Amino acid sequence: MLHPTDLKELRDAVLDSSGTLGIAGAGTAADWAGPLGPVDAVLDTTGLAGIVVHNPGDMTVAVRAGTPLRQLQEELAPHHQRVSLDAARVAEGATVGGLVATGDAGPCGLAFGSMRDLVIGVTLVLADGTVARSGGHVIKNVAGYDLAKLLHGSYGTLAVIAEVVLRLHPVPEREATLAVSCSLTEAAELARAVLAGPHEAVALEWLGTTPDAGTLLVRLNGTAAAMDARLDRLRPVLPGAVDGDDRWAEHAAIVRGGPGDAVLRIGVRPSKLPGVLTALPARAITAGLGTGIATVVLDAQDVAAAHETVAAAGGTSVLRRRPAGASVSAWGPPPSALKVLRAVKQSLDPAGRLGPGRFDPWM
Amino acid sequence: MPLDGAARRAFEAVLDPQDVLSDPVRCRVYECDGLTGHRVVPELVLLPRTAEQVAAAVRVCAEHEVPFVARGAGTGLSGGALPVADGVVIGLNRLNRILEVDPVDRRAVVEPGVTNLDVTRAVAQYGLYYAPDPSSQQVCTIGGNVAENSGGAHCLKYGFTTNHVLAVEVVLPDGSTVTLGSDTGEQQGPDLRGLFLGSEGTLGIVTKVTVRLLRTPETVRTLLADFPSVAAAGEVVSDVVAAGIVPAAVEMMDALAIEAAEEAVHAGYTIGTPAALVVELDGPAEECGSTFEQVRRICEAHGCTRLHIAGSAEERAAIWRGRKAAFAAVGRISPDYFVQDGVVPRTRLAETLDRIAAMSRSAGLRVANVFHAGDGNLHPLVLYDGAAGETARAEELTSAIAELCVEMGGSLSGEHGIGTDKACSMPKMFSRDDLAVMARVRDAWDPQGICNPGKVLPTPRLCGEPGKYRPHPLEEAGVIERL
Ligand SMILES: Cc1cc2nc3c(=O)[nH]c(=O)nc-3n(C[C@H](O)[C@H](O)[C@H](O)COP(=O)(O)OP(=O)(O)OC[C@H]3O[C@@H](n4cnc5c(N)ncnc54)[C@H](O)[C@@H]3O)c2cc1C
Repeated sequence: MLHPTDLKELRDAVLDSSGTLGIAGAGTAADWAGPLGPVDAVLDTTGLAGIVVHNPGDMTVAVRAGTPLRQLQEELAPHHQRVSLDAARVAEGATVGGLVATGDAGPCGLAFGSMRDLVIGVTLVLADGTVARSGGHVIKNVAGYDLAKLLHGSYGTLAVIAEVVLRLHPVPEREATLAVSCSLTEAAELARAVLAGPHEAVALEWLGTTPDAGTLLVRLNGTAAAMDARLDRLRPVLPGAVDGDDRWAEHAAIVRGGPGDAVLRIGVRPSKLPGVLTALPARAITAGLGTGIATVVLDAQDVAAAHETVAAAGGTSVLRRRPAGASVSAWGPPPSALKVLRAVKQSLDPAGRLGPGRFDPWM
Repeated sequence: MPLDGAARRAFEAVLDPQDVLSDPVRCRVYECDGLTGHRVVPELVLLPRTAEQVAAAVRVCAEHEVPFVARGAGTGLSGGALPVADGVVIGLNRLNRILEVDPVDRRAVVEPGVTNLDVTRAVAQYGLYYAPDPSSQQVCTIGGNVAENSGGAHCLKYGFTTNHVLAVEVVLPDGSTVTLGSDTGEQQGPDLRGLFLGSEGTLGIVTKVTVRLLRTPETVRTLLADFPSVAAAGEVVSDVVAAGIVPAAVEMMDALAIEAAEEAVHAGYTIGTPAALVVELDGPAEECGSTFEQVRRICEAHGCTRLHIAGSAEERAAIWRGRKAAFAAVGRISPDYFVQDGVVPRTRLAETLDRIAAMSRSAGLRVANVFHAGDGNLHPLVLYDGAAGETARAEELTSAIAELCVEMGGSLSGEHGIGTDKACSMPKMFSRDDLAVMARVRDAWDPQGICNPGKVLPTPRLCGEPGKYRPHPLEEAGVIERL
């Protein structure tokens, strides 16, 4: 186990070791995607922690990759600023670098996108010890290739993320959620009505254990002064809605899954979501009816067929929890750009040192 | 090496021969983009009509090692679409169909030659719009926007092209076609879509784009405020942001830019005021009204000398007409001008503008400023007279301003791209290793080096041998460390 505490130690750790390397942050997504193959060493990033520089007036922060996002949020809170990302595993200590490497996002992705929409700069270390940066410290910047995007979703296979620069948003004065009991199909209709109106929901998620019965959660962000009036205008669109502020923990619990569960994150056109989800033998579902991104809890043996179902609907899927010991396919049919992915891997990590197995069987 | 006959015949075999231009007079139309100081007449111009023809043409390029440059409307301001000697230009204007509008899933699928504004026009009937709004939106193409990751006045709140493109179909430099991104924008594995966005035509040619559409905001409130100094206007911007307000747009113009714009379009700006701010808020009615009031108070607290609130859609349009006309209008007060596009942290705006003013004085050239104040993206317009032999001096001042932005902790370019124009300044912002890694990524996509070569990354041919290493300004400030 290698445990660097600054950029120099990180580079030296990569240079001084030989053979294959696994990269580990807080370990909250260790059982996502393909299983890490046997490696000669594991590089633990959690020693690379803390804020490098926070510029409140510019609403940017540079942070070492092993910093838990939860901790970063606490440090930003006194400035009424935040990283607008509410992925379920943040509460468990997920690191900023890990969240980028897994391309994670939570319900408010509807308004703020995923980590790739928030990262404005990155420092990375390649398998040959090269240290490189792209982007910068300003929110608007098109100089050079955006390598942070390349690392988003790379699962530790292309480079070690050492540092990221993030754009921040103001913490809204008030967040409020309305909850309505309804089936998935009903929820899709309601979501359509919400989106067609002027409500500007920041999250629009249905959750349930079967498509027939569940809850639609609609979250608004805004000023304290206007929120009550906005909620009053939203209620008629969501007949029977009650206060749902405390329902998000249930949502996060489904996304995380439990022992023995296989969890799949899928994405299809929003209007196809009810159909696709109904066709899957899911034990629990969260469905982002505005984004088209959903999570399903399945039995391990149903995962392969689920990948196929999603692919047939033109969607994407990735395994986000593998039951211990089970052999479950992490990825579905390969994307058309697989050869680009392989070429990039070959160019940045020709010896195949980093993250073997994570994209198994694609590369 | 000039194009050989075999390559020419191969192009004519895969395209309709009339879509292959070789007459130098007709090819001259393609000799430059918006950076008109750089010109190269291409050997051939190819005007395919379908994505299949684009792929076939690129396959011919790969087979014969012919460099190619994609071109949309040619409004780029960094020489990205500048032809390459002995190469071909592939014009995408004829791929201009809107393939699908889906008001339910709020997206459109378009060909790359569709103009930015035509996307919004096609979806407006559903109460939707395409958010990124470069000032050139009436003519620039979505393909060009994807290549440049273009921004616009409203990207402070809504983000850039990359935040609104879910998927792109791309012809790779070997002529094969792939899709990057997906129906949700999610990518299985690394975000190749995101890497491609803003790659300035160096990784492939876009043949189809799926864009996300937004619902037209319920309320839009716009004000135009005059200030006694650029610094006072800058403080307003800081205070608005500090209050937790995210305006849809915050634009600033200085006296010279106002004078030019006002004379050109008579939009109701005050000639002689040292600075003017355009602030726009949008959102749900309940919220927009009170927040707008807050912005108005902040303006007044900083000595605003005139505050005009748009009372109608026409008045709002007039304010924007003034702002958007500024670039072209500068042409009325100066025979020639360069547009700069550096970015500085918002908190260093006033300081940067002071420095630019001093540089302008010592160069003896006027600089007009019109810019996206909310995100620190400057657009200094360096005015000069080419006929009076001022070109070299103006070019020098322009580069110096871009490099000043880097020194302030910012970037060489906020939205216009590096292209040919700023490739040689890249070592001011990035180390040799940074650039080498970018070059490795580029090689992975384009091993033959035929896709818009010579753009973005500095080359010895273009820039001379790299000089001795100088520490990056952020390194000196202790923000980044170089090992
Ligand atoms: C008056 C004026 C105002 C402007 N205002 C703004 C603004 O507010 N914000 C902003 O961001 N920009 C602005 N621009 C710059 C310019 O309009 C944008 O960069 C625009 O995106 C370029 O689009 P285009 O179709 O003209 O592309 P071109 O100039 O033809 O090409 C630009 C680059 O894109 C590549 N390219 C073009 N099409 C494709 C394709 N299909 N596939 C791959 N690569 C391709 C080219 O090779 C080139 O590198 C302005 C320009 C002018 C003249």
